[in-house]
Order: sequence, then structure tokens, then C-alpha cells
Amino acid sequence: MKDFQVDTSMCVHCGLCLPSCPTYQVTGSESESPRGRVVLLDAVREALSSGRTPDPTAWGALDHCLDCRACEAVCPAHVPVGHAVEELRGLVPGRPSLLLNAAALGSPSGVRRFRRWVRVATRPGVRRILRAGTSLPAPWGPMLSLAGGAPTSQSAPSQEACRESGEGLGVTVRFFWGCVMEGLYARTNRRSAELLRRLGYVVQMEDAPLCCGALARHQGDPEGARRWARSIIARFEESGAAFFVTNAAGCGAAFKEYGAWFREDPEWAERARAFAGRVRDLLELVDLKRLPVPRRTAPDPVTVHDACHLVHAQGIRDPVRAILQRVGIPVVEMVEADLCCGSAGIYNLSHPEMARALRDRKVGGIPPGVTRVVTSNPGCLLQIQSGLRERGLLVDAVHWVDVVYDALWSGKGEDRAALG
Amino acid sequence: MRLWDELIRIVGPRFVSREDAVLSTYRTDAFTLHDGDPALVVWPRDAGEVAAVMRLLYARGVPLVARGGGTSLSGGAVPPTAGVVLHLSRMNRIVHIDPIRRLAEVEPGVVNQHLSRAAHPFGLYYAPDPSSQQACTLGGNLAENAGGPHCLKYGVTVNHVLQADVVLPDGTPVRMGSLTAAPGALDELGALIGSEGTLGVIVRAWVTLLPIPPAHITFMGIFDTVDDASRAVSAVIAAGIVPAALEMMDPLAVTAVERGRYRVGYPESLGAVLLAEVDGESGRVSEEAHLVEDAFRRHSARLLRRAESEAERDLWWANRKTAFGAMGLLARHYYVQDGVIPQSRLPDALSAIAAVSRAYALPIANVFHAGDGNLHPLLLYDDQKPDTVRRVVQAGHEILSACLALGGSVSGEHGIGIEKREDLARQYTPAELRMQRALKDAFDPRGLINPGKIFLDGR
Ligand SMILES: Cc1cc2nc3c(=O)[nH]c(=O)nc-3n(C[C@H](O)[C@H](O)[C@H](O)COP(=O)(O)OP(=O)(O)OC[C@H]3O[C@@H](n4cnc5c(N)ncnc54)[C@H](O)[C@@H]3O)c2cc1C
Ligand code: SF4
Ligand code: SF4
Repeated sequence: MKDFQVDTSMCVHCGLCLPSCPTYQVTGSESESPRGRVVLLDAVREALSSGRTPDPTAWGALDHCLDCRACEAVCPAHVPVGHAVEELRGLVPGRPSLLLNAAALGSPSGVRRFRRWVRVATRPGVRRILRAGTSLPAPWGPMLSLAGGAPTSQSAPSQEACRESGEGLGVTVRFFWGCVMEGLYARTNRRSAELLRRLGYVVQMEDAPLCCGALARHQGDPEGARRWARSIIARFEESGAAFFVTNAAGCGAAFKEYGAWFREDPEWAERARAFAGRVRDLLELVDLKRLPVPRRTAPDPVTVHDACHLVHAQGIRDPVRAILQRVGIPVVEMVEADLCCGSAGIYNLSHPEMARALRDRKVGGIPPGVTRVVTSNPGCLLQIQSGLRERGLLVDAVHWVDVVYDALWSGKGEDRAALG
Repeated sequence: MRLWDELIRIVGPRFVSREDAVLSTYRTDAFTLHDGDPALVVWPRDAGEVAAVMRLLYARGVPLVARGGGTSLSGGAVPPTAGVVLHLSRMNRIVHIDPIRRLAEVEPGVVNQHLSRAAHPFGLYYAPDPSSQQACTLGGNLAENAGGPHCLKYGVTVNHVLQADVVLPDGTPVRMGSLTAAPGALDELGALIGSEGTLGVIVRAWVTLLPIPPAHITFMGIFDTVDDASRAVSAVIAAGIVPAALEMMDPLAVTAVERGRYRVGYPESLGAVLLAEVDGESGRVSEEAHLVEDAFRRHSARLLRRAESEAERDLWWANRKTAFGAMGLLARHYYVQDGVIPQSRLPDALSAIAAVSRAYALPIANVFHAGDGNLHPLLLYDDQKPDTVRRVVQAGHEILSACLALGGSVSGEHGIGIEKREDLARQYTPAELRMQRALKDAFDPRGLINPGKIFLDGR
């Protein structure tokens, strides 16, 4: 008898979650909805418990779940559909994406290698080749298409270069570099640290080649995910910092769930819970009053894409808008701002068709006159940028830190020298 | 050609399914005491495809059910055995919003709340607001003549529909009603709205939009007893006010919503919560506000508050509107009733419900539209064993009998569906039922569309 930890029995079948679910939006099928997944989950669990092979259609519909948590955020009974599917993924053997994940991100040296690989994609010559290959069959085509969304090369200046700080708060925070963020958006990472300093924090860098574990977990490898978590927690405990900060929504959501990851582990449960309580998305540490009033006026309007793991998993929706407003950048809301863009970890590689449908829907919702789509997660940046490129739109997907940085400080010699 | 191939020819291979796993997710709607066994699901793209599919099914004598959001609480969207589910989820376009004439043209699968959201930039909204508005569709709303907390003042669905395009069971498209408010000889539209998907499939609707009221004030009153709260409700009505909404929750319901997604922070050990809202021109609103406050105070409100911000108002309503779903936090299943009683008999009705709760040893939470006496007792239970289900259903029938005895009716807004067929037969005389049956037969002589609903005769 398999042991399933995630309980969905409180689902009362009310259907209130349906319109929030991206896969239901795209397919219109009850079987691709959270409520449908609760039904299918029971069937698949029963099959697994009695040693039968689950119905492939049922498993397929479950596996389509993006784990975007949109349903969990609206369900009156807190039914954890996304979590339940995630748990199940680990119990259905032989999934190819697992291999992909293990090869790239299984260890610190893997993360180092991964950061190097993805950086290659940012070189101009390579970008041209990538574009040519997007019509190849899966997983190559989707992978190259996604890589086409990478920014042009962002050099990673040494951290010592950024030093200026605002009036001190006397609070030490530990800033997490991450794997994808550091591989592709190293400059955004430096600027994030700089922003924290200017807000008055003392910043420690967590620059070791570490992964939050979310990718492993989404792909059904909870033990691999816990290995990462243990090193991150232990290092944080030693650091003496007050908060553990990330600018990547997916990592933040994972960190905040560490308590649940170790529920069954008496040795780590308390430590993980304590750690989770110290985790903040960078957005949560921005005190608007400490941001300078911008020099430049009337910049082009931007629109906001709410990353699932920020808005649904962490319930953070307004701060990015308030910050943009504070620094004088007009926001024009897009339709379905909080609908998943289809990125969802490496979902765009394992489920290219659904991912593309969601990406095109997202890009299609960008209002006219907007030149930048602002978001807060590397996966979304890549995914949306790749969609923009393929449509030939003159719009960029950018991290909010870069937008704020440009509005407040770019153009100063200091900035270019310090941040590349 | 086989039915399967013909359907593929009409809608394309992606939009028809007969896989067990898919079908298993269509066996019920939000009413889970009864399930159906469909053979196929079809997802048509437009009115033309609906008509073609229905012509085909008619020719072959295959029964069907239309489905919108699947939030029906009476089993309206439970499929007929070996029948076809016509899921209208892809027909979800808001075709046109006309801010001058204040109306919207929509496909049936448009989600109720999405329409109000789209109308918002024009300063307009769609008034009927079922608590399921984040998920139920306009097609389902028309079919069930849905109401909602704010329908006390603004009327239910039927008061907001001008015209509809409908495909009859044999595949013939017809237009009912008109945009010019000159009603035809027979009010077909009136017959269609509230017919629970048993007369035809709605493929397009033209509904009225109202200007967003310039001002509103929302109140929360906490009372020690349901009697006090009920008298406060009567006093508000007697003062000549028609509040936009007047809603009550009992302690068990409050326990559930406070554990749910939207916690208000209601005080412990209360007898009843009343939520009231007045809206309109600001001068009149503040006058009415005083009258409401006065009524609440005179009937010993222990606590009386006005919502201080839009955010607070939204929280109170979100808390109230997710009450059914939050029952999942108290028990694995609930069965919600929909009886109506004269507003003045609220205390009697609640003691009758409490007696049923004791007799059947079933916890019952109460959430209701107090302003118009529409009760929603929620019977909580934990397993689907035949014996439990029988007990729950029996307790439900007893509550509805009590409503009838108090001079009320068995359904306010959730429809008869499968759930209340027996109760309907008790409420109406055989002659009245024959009349309704004749109407159904006139539209659907072969009994193919949503058979087995409303009437007990199984057709
Ligand atoms: C949590 C919760 C709260 C609720 N609150 C309220 C409330 O406050 N007030 C209220 O009135 N109801 C309420 N309901 C009941 C339900 O939401 C309404 O009856 C709603 O109108 C159903 O819409 P739907 O799109 O989900 O329809 P479905 O459940 O899919 O179908 C309902 C019926 O409509 C028919 N139908 C659907 N679309 C069409 C069409 N295009 N043409 C012809 N027939 C069609 C179906 O055949 C079926 O008989 C609530 C339900 C839930 C789960
Ligand atoms: S998952 Fe939650 S919102 Fe969705 S049907 Fe179940 S109880 Fe309702
Ligand atoms: S987690 Fe996202 S994709 Fe999965 S069922 Fe919920 S809403 Fe749908």
C-alpha cells in the first residue's frame, strides 16, 4: 500500500476553482481542471496502491498540471491539488524529465555546469543558431525556443564592486543567487543586492552553487530536493543573517514550504520551519519610503505578469505595482495577469504543446503601447521573452529589479562601472 | 457512419472524447449525491456546431445534457445514462459590450464574474451575483434562473435577460425575446429561463448591464440569537428599505468560513452574523444606512460595524460567498438545501431545521439570503455509504416539508434537477405538474434533452 501524504478529501466538488486553472482555460475539459484532477487522483492512487498501472489518460491529465497553485489560492477548502500531483509524480516511475533534471541540477558541480551552459545561450552567434532550430522535434525544438528567450550576455561583475549603501537599518540579510538567475541574469542578481544595500540592509551573498530544490521536487524527486534544502538551511543557520532573500518567485515559494518538506523528519522539521519563517521575497523587503523619487519622468508604460509562485503560492500581488508606481512607471494591466505563462519549472520542455498555448495566450494579452513585461521569476522571463521573440514583438520581458534600477540609477557612471 | 465519426466530422477529433478517465470527471456537478454515466463528451466551438451535433443526436435518438461551469447544486448537469455531455466551455467569448444601450452579447460559457469585470471600464456591471459567480456561466445562470446575495434589490437572472439564441432539441435554431422590449405573443424567453436545460441549448444571450452604484455602505451585525437577527431583518424591511443585500450566517457556518480562505475574524460565541448593504445615490444611501443601523441596534446587535474600506467590504463578501466550499473543512461532504419561507417565519424555520439536525444526528450549518427568506441549510456528513446518503436525503426532504408547512417553497434558486423531484411533486397539484410537463413535451417531444430532471416520471 503506497503512502500518500497529501490529502484532497476535503474537496466538495463546488467547481469554484475551474476558471483559475490554466489547463482548463486552454482545453475546456473538466479532466484538465483541479476538480477533475481530484477525481483522477483518487483513481490513480487506487491503481498504484493495488499495484496496477494507472490509466494513461488519467495520468496524462494529472501530469499536465503546472503546479501553478492558482486553484489552491481560490479554493475555499484549501484543497492542495498542485501539491498532490507533485507528490504523485515521484511515485510514477520512469519519467524522462527526471533524468534531465538529475543530469543538470543534481549536485553543486551540476549547478556550476548548468550556469555555464545557459550562459552560452546568451552569446549573439549562438542565439542565431538557436533560432534556426526551434522547429526541431521535442525536446530539442522547445528547448532551443526557450533558450531563444535568454537575455543578451550579462557579465557577472565581482561582488566587491557594489558597495554604496543608504542609511543603515542594521539588519543583515542573506541574498540567494540561485541556479537559473545566476546563470542568465547575473546582473539582476547584483542589482538586487545593491538595491538591498541602498534600502539600508547589510547584505551577505549566498553565492554557492546551490539550487532551492523546487525543480527536483516538481519533477517528483523529493529526496533530491531535501538534500538541497538541508545544505541551504545549515548554511543560513551559521550565517547569523536575519532574513533569507530571493528575487526568484519559484525559489521563494519552495523555501517557504521547507517546513512541509520535512514534516516527517524529526531531526529537521523544526529547523526547516524556522528557516521558512525567515524567507522573504525581495519585494517584501522594499520599504517604499526608502526608495528615492525618480529623476526621469514619463517613461513608457509597462505591464505586470504575476508569477504563479509569487501571487498564488506566496500571495504577493500588490507590492510590485506599488514599487513601480513609486518610481514613476505607469502600469497598464494585461488581461489574465495572474494566469500561468506555461513556464513552470521545466514544464515547457516536458509538455511543449500546453506550454506554448499558454505562452501565446500570455503574449497575446499584452496591451498595446507597452514596451516591457515586468515579472519576478527567471522561468517566466525566459518563457515570455521567447514568445515575444518568436512573434517579433518589440517588447521585452524584464525583472522588476532591472526596471526599478534603470528608472532610479542607470546612466550614472558608477552604475555602469559597478554593475556591468 | 458511426456517431463517433460523425461527431469528429463536426467538431474535430480533439473536441470529442469517450475515454473513461475523461468521462469519470463528468459524472456529477456540484451536487454529489447522484451521479450519471455519460458515453461521450463534446466541446463545440460555436452555435453552428451545437446545432449540427444536436441534429445528429436527434436523428439517432441519443440523449444529451448541456454543461456550463458544472456548479449546479441540484444535479442539473448530471448526464443521462449513455448520453452526451455538450460542454460549452469553449464558447466563452464576450461578443460585444454596448455601453450606450447598457447591454452585453455573450456566448453561454462566459463566466458570470468575467462579464462584470469586462463591463467595469464602462462603469457597468452584471447584477445577478450567485455566490458561485467566479465559476458559474451565463448559460447555466439562465438555465437555473440564478439569484445571488444582491438579487434582493436588483432581481434575479430573468429580470436581466433581453434575448437569447437557442437550439431546440431537433437542432433548429430559434431566437427568443427581443432587444426592443416588445414582447411577442407568448413569452418563450420567460419559459426558457429557469427551465434547467430541459427545453433547448442556449448558444447566445443578450443581458442588461447596470451602472455601478455611485455609493454603497456595507454593515456587519453580530447578534446573540437568531431571533434577534431575524427581527432586525424584519425591521429593516418594515422601514421601507430594499437593501442591496441582506445575508445571515449561523455559528457553524461562521466556524467554517473562518477556517477558509477569507478569514474576517468574527468574535467567538455568536448567535448570528448579519451582512447588509445599501447602495445608490450617496444622499439616499446615508439615509438608509441610518435606518439599517437603527434597526440593528433596536434588536440588540452586540456589535455593529461599517466596512471601512473597499478591501474590507470585499473580504466580508468573499468570506460569505465561499461558505459552501468551506464546508469541506468541517466534513467531507455537504448537501445544501434551498427552501424558501416567508421572511417573518425565519425563527420557526431555524428551529425546525435544528430539530431535524437532532433527529438525524447530522450537523447542519445555515447560510441564507435573509432578506427574501431563502434558506441554505448545509447538511454535513462524512462518508458516501448508502445508509448515510439515505439519511441525508431523508433529512433534506423533511426540511423542505417544514418549509412548505410554513407557507414557503422547495427551491429558491438552485433548481429542482434530480435533487428535488419528489419535493416538487409535493408542492404542486397534479394539474399544475401536468401543465409543466406539457410545456416540456412541446419543446422536446422525444425527451432527449436533459431527461430525468424536474419530473419524477423519468422522462
Ligand atoms: C459554492 C456555490 C454557490 C452557489 N451559489 C448560488 C447562488 O448564490 N445563487 C444561485 O442561484 N445559485 C447558486 N449556486 C448554484 C449554481 O452556481 C447555479 O445554479 C448556476 O447558475 C449554475 O451555472 P453553471 O454554469 O455552473 O451551470 P451547470 O451546473 O453546468 O448547469 C446547470 C444547468 O444548466 C443547464 N445549462 C448550462 N448551460 C446551458 C446552456 N447553455 N443552455 C441550456 N442549458 C444549460 C445544464 O444543463 C444544467 O441543467 C451555487 C453553487 C455553488 C457550487
Ligand atoms: S478543489 Fe476546492 S474549489 Fe475546486 S472543486 Fe474542490 S473544493 Fe471546490
Ligand atoms: S496547480 Fe495550476 S494547473 Fe494544477 S490543477 Fe491547480 S490551477 Fe490547474
